[in-house]
Amino acid sequence: MLELKGVSYRYAGYAKAVLQEVDLTLADGEIVGLVGPNEAGKSTLCLVAAGLAPASIKGALTGTLTIDGEPMAGRKTHELASRVVVGFQNPNTQRSGIAATVFEEVALGPQNLGLDVPEIVERTRTAMALLRIEAIQLRDPARLSGGQAQLVAIAALLAMRPRHVILDEPTAQLDPAGTRLVGEALRQLAAGGTSLLIAEHKTDLLDGVCSRIVAIDGGRIALDGPAGDVLADPRLDALGVQPPSRVRLQRAIDEAGIDPRTAAAAAQAMAAVA
Amino acid sequence: MLGGYLGPLVIIALNLVGATIAGVAGRLVRVSVLLTLPIAISVVLVSVFTRAGTTVLFTIGPFDATAEGVDFAAQTLVRLLAIALSIGLFGMTTDPRAFVLDLERRRLSPRFAFVALATLEAVPAMVERAGVIQASQRARGLDTEGSLRARVRGVVPLAGPVILSSLTEVEERSLALEVRAFGRPGRRHLLWRNPDSTAQLVARAALLLLLVGSIVGKVTGAFPQTP
Repeated sequence: MLELKGVSYRYAGYAKAVLQEVDLTLADGEIVGLVGPNEAGKSTLCLVAAGLAPASIKGALTGTLTIDGEPMAGRKTHELASRVVVGFQNPNTQRSGIAATVFEEVALGPQNLGLDVPEIVERTRTAMALLRIEAIQLRDPARLSGGQAQLVAIAALLAMRPRHVILDEPTAQLDPAGTRLVGEALRQLAAGGTSLLIAEHKTDLLDGVCSRIVAIDGGRIALDGPAGDVLADPRLDALGVQPPSRVRLQRAIDEAGIDPRTAAAAAQAMAAVA
Repeated sequence: MLGGYLGPLVIIALNLVGATIAGVAGRLVRVSVLLTLPIAISVVLVSVFTRAGTTVLFTIGPFDATAEGVDFAAQTLVRLLAIALSIGLFGMTTDPRAFVLDLERRRLSPRFAFVALATLEAVPAMVERAGVIQASQRARGLDTEGSLRARVRGVVPLAGPVILSSLTEVEERSLALEVRAFGRPGRRHLLWRNPDSTAQLVARAALLLLLVGSIVGKVTGAFPQTP
């Protein structure tokens, strides 16, 4: 379990805290979606939950980060790496720059953990298979499309087999097929007991994979509840977050006064397409 | 007679043989000559006309060109060329990633390996980014072509975003590496090793002996001294 309790965070040199009194728990095997308008504090929350702030990004943190029952205060980032990882939205900045092939890029994390070669190879192959990127394993990571690079970046994190995964807009550069692929991979991870926090503007992805949604605004948690309830909550619109297509379709059906049986058939059709 | 020339000439000959075998002789000579040309011109001018000597070849104004100056300039030039050819041949025939990772296998710090490779990658990455930023600035009406003045004016709005985005990228990349336990102390197991034949082992041992012999020869004065 990953737990943030009473967390406030202020970047060095800033007068105002970006996060204020945030309480958030990720249970094992739970996928939590994080939504909110721009500058709401989503990325900062991801950095704090991963232990990067303030360990690597200087600032003032109050409150506690606890992972699997152990407080993480004062831990170095590399000590957290086997427990929690965080992926950023730009895959190019996540490329190590020292790997000649995609395989080596994905293998870098397990290598850094000091694992034996057979274990490194097994983890790397499994992570690549999960995101179906085996076909590009011998390609130069610097010469991939944005979508391929994003899948490689996620595979590189998953190869470390952390108990907790935090992803900041993991599908920003992915097409619908790639987004579905990532969604499937995340569901498989959660089924294995990994907890996930996904900050994402694409609420359709969150609607498909998350059991819970947390909406953040002005550094404070505004909404927190089951995915179906929060994504259909009109207050989400007020925060500037577009509800998923399913919810928008349902609202359109309601507004048009279409027969509920027809609406149910449409909802079923939507679910099948999703 | 060949005292100060023999060593560099042997190195030049060996480099040319190696470059011919590798199929890069033409490019190597071209690049090496171009790289040494600016230094060569200044060396020739300074050495030929300012080096003290007894045999004056010709005079230009207050400057005497001496035979000793010409000899010194020629020796310096063959040395420069030997150095340029050696570095050039190494660069043209060695994959930097393979080289640095092999050094890491020989106990070089992974951090040094990262710095070396990231530096190599930084230049083409910055050039690529500059191209993108230049195209977007031009789309917004910035004149980056035409007169020299227009080009100089265009540099400022180009340089700022290139430098700032590079710095941001470095910060994000270092965070991403930290997440992947890059800062963890201790050694890591490498996935592969470069093929290393017996001939390569023998060549390396011979070069090492040559290096030690050269240093000993230089220290003991066995080699001809620089004029």
